[in-house]
Amino acid sequence: MGNIKIGLLQFFTLTVLFELGTALVVNLGMESDKDAWISILLGNLMGLIVFAGYAYLYKKFPNLPLTAYIRQLFGKYVGSVISIAYIVLFLNLAGRDLRDGGSMLVMATMHRTPLFIISMLMILSSAYVLHKGVEVLTRTSLVFAVLVILIGLFCSSMLMFSGSINLNRLLPVFENGINPVLSSVLHQNYMFPFGEMICFTMLMPYLNNVKKGPWVIAAGMFVSGILLSLTMVLNISVLGTDIVKRSPLPLMPTISKISISDFIQRVDILIVMVLIIGVFFKLSVFFAAALIGISELFKIPYRRMVYPVALIILFSSILNARSFTEHIEEGGKLLYTVFPFFMVLIPLLLIIITAIRSHSSPPRSG
Amino acid sequence: MNINGIHRRNKSTKGQQAASVHEGARFPRLTADLDQTLEQIDMELGHSPDLKIRQVKIGSKQPIQAAAIHLNGLVNTETVNEFVIGSLLGITDDMLQNISATEDLKDYIFNRALELGEAQLLQDWKEVMLAILSGNTVIVIEGFDTAILCETEGGEARSVTEPTTQLVVRGPKDSFVESVATNISLIRRRIKSSKLRLEHLKIGKVTHTHVALMYIKDNADEKLVEEVRKRLSQINVDAILESGYIEELIQDKTFTPFPTINNSERPDVAATNLLEGRVVIIIDGTPFVLILPAVFTLFFQSPSDYAQRFDITILMRLVRYISFIVLILGPSVYIALTTYHYEMIPTTLLINLLAQRENVPFPAFVEALLMEGAFEIIREAGVRMPRAVGQTVSVVGALILGQAVVEAGIITPVMVIVVALTGIASFAVPAYNMAISGRIIRFLFLVLAGMFGFYGITLGLIVLVAHMNSLRSFGVPYLSPIVPLSSHGQKDAILRLPLWALNTKQASTKHGGISEGKKISTGHEQNLSPEIFKKTEGPDQAKKGMQDAE
Repeated sequence: MGNIKIGLLQFFTLTVLFELGTALVVNLGMESDKDAWISILLGNLMGLIVFAGYAYLYKKFPNLPLTAYIRQLFGKYVGSVISIAYIVLFLNLAGRDLRDGGSMLVMATMHRTPLFIISMLMILSSAYVLHKGVEVLTRTSLVFAVLVILIGLFCSSMLMFSGSINLNRLLPVFENGINPVLSSVLHQNYMFPFGEMICFTMLMPYLNNVKKGPWVIAAGMFVSGILLSLTMVLNISVLGTDIVKRSPLPLMPTISKISISDFIQRVDILIVMVLIIGVFFKLSVFFAAALIGISELFKIPYRRMVYPVALIILFSSILNARSFTEHIEEGGKLLYTVFPFFMVLIPLLLIIITAIRSHSSPPRSG
Repeated sequence: MNINGIHRRNKSTKGQQAASVHEGARFPRLTADLDQTLEQIDMELGHSPDLKIRQVKIGSKQPIQAAAIHLNGLVNTETVNEFVIGSLLGITDDMLQNISATEDLKDYIFNRALELGEAQLLQDWKEVMLAILSGNTVIVIEGFDTAILCETEGGEARSVTEPTTQLVVRGPKDSFVESVATNISLIRRRIKSSKLRLEHLKIGKVTHTHVALMYIKDNADEKLVEEVRKRLSQINVDAILESGYIEELIQDKTFTPFPTINNSERPDVAATNLLEGRVVIIIDGTPFVLILPAVFTLFFQSPSDYAQRFDITILMRLVRYISFIVLILGPSVYIALTTYHYEMIPTTLLINLLAQRENVPFPAFVEALLMEGAFEIIREAGVRMPRAVGQTVSVVGALILGQAVVEAGIITPVMVIVVALTGIASFAVPAYNMAISGRIIRFLFLVLAGMFGFYGITLGLIVLVAHMNSLRSFGVPYLSPIVPLSSHGQKDAILRLPLWALNTKQASTKHGGISEGKKISTGHEQNLSPEIFKKTEGPDQAKKGMQDAE
């Protein structure tokens, strides 16, 4: 991939868009009812702790992606197997994300367009952007992060002006004690969306600043955690717990409450735009992580694999579930069965091995 | 990428090249025999009737045969008569006897007799022919194998007039003309600095077009100038007739609708860009000079921006950007709204729209395509229409087509409004080439919106921005200073701060450590300095422009 280096600001915005991705529009952490926003914040903190581990590995191997140092630490054969597993994980995550995004779009606006066509358009644009390079993706994220934030500001101020926010709906805090919150955090929130940051370990070698880089990404995670939590507060305070829990995309009905003098009304299309942008960047980051892994592991030029991998993602997204319900169900299971293994356990192992190695054989001076 | 293009052309011109080499081999140098030389020149030009050979005799006791050769119409006849022929005939026998031992006759004429500002001694046959063809007069003397070139270029040329395409309300009223020399003088008159550098080149195997490269030393990045020089010298085509030829041959990437090199016919624009560290290329035979590197925001600046107060300018610039967005997205947003997302339209308006649509047989997408197509035809016809019948186009186009198409129930009135708005918006963009690219992109968005509504538009926007991010103009990221973001660059990109805030450049370009997104020099310099993208891209990538290295 040459020596492309990507600026901090671009990484920050890419992190924010990646984290907001699909999480912004779905009913995140609703296991804990009206305390969902707290469980998001707690999940964010846990996610940051997990990310600290990734950052540690990055500092030890600033020029290598995850798949490369796995092979250094686990040996060539075991390492390769695990690397392939990671690549498959990234491909699967990208496919799941594409399915998420496509299904949500079908639900939200494009009722009669086939899911396959919608997914195809999305993956083709993603492939085009990645064909131009990871750097182009991060730069593009800067422009669209600004757009998303502007839309967010517009919508929340419009909600305020139309007087639909009732903060009392958030009370009482901890209605059922702290246990539902904790269980929701452990089941879901530290993994989705914060644990998914594992794919940034593939992109971090492009950071142009080893020292500040991880901090900037962590800041991106933190900011997006706050934004997600605020969005949940908005949802609950506008709609009430019941509706939020039952709606698959609670942000849409929330925003459709906006009505200002019969002129600005039904601006939910803006939310659809945010959804498209979020899905696009999340999908592209997974896609890029898989591509970098493939090109690094098999020594294939990065660009040659863009369109084949796009096909794999497209078909896996269509074939991995028969319906959206099954898809969501499966996703929920993966969140506490498979993902922790890849996102916490293996990195933990890597950290331990690295720590022992650097301890037992201190680097020679010079 | 352009290098490939040049290679391709290289092959096609090989035959030509071989022929000229052959001729050169026949007469590599001049001979001392005057009659033979004259005959050769006459033959080489195919006994052209506009070749004027004036034979004179120098001195009266032992007259020496000489000849002054020029092409009629290319020279300034007065100069030739008065100074070239006059100088030759003015040589008396006394003078000839006084020639010192170290000089011979040609040196004497060259050093003392010739009353001209510029002259040169030539021996190479090709140079002699080129000199005659460029409108110079060549003196050939019997017994010498060296000719004297006398600078007598002249002939009819258009005088400096008001610009016809890039008009301003307030600002200088002169514009470039077709002559390189005049154009250079127009710039020199504005920048009286010894640091203003000028380099001459001849490009084109057949046309030998005179091309001038101008930049200000220390303001322009040395690497940029070097790169421009390199790309210019790599051009290998037969003809350069307009700046567009050169633009296409030296730009970074060819497959994009966006222009990456700016052009202007205004000397003040050229001067401003020179001061901001850009390079200006002037081509003989066209009043449009090339300005590079050009980033996206440059195409939205107008020379009158600095004639108005800054707050007014900011408003004007915002209007231009908005009109560019309207140009690209206007019809597609209308289609998306009416076909897919009608719930967004306020109810009363929606009822109105639907009532109109009731009588129209086509879907909104077809309607838009028809109307936009018709509009493009009218515009293209209007460009070429002779002035006498120009009125007809506006009457037929605007009144008959616009009115009748609605009355016939083919198009809804709202669609006519939308199309007219995008048409007007395309003229609000100051750069014509940027407006054209907007017109092309508009059709792509039209299709996307017709098929996928806002989903298509949003994805299209992402791809568009990514495409622009992948572009570079001579190594400078096309969307800078927006992406990569530099706070100093914002001073004169989309906004324009007051002049006192802009004017702090030299100090910071020299000392400011350019680190991505943070301390970057002021004004436009950071748009230009390859140091920025070196930070983001790495040194290898800098020259290749794109990530071709992968």
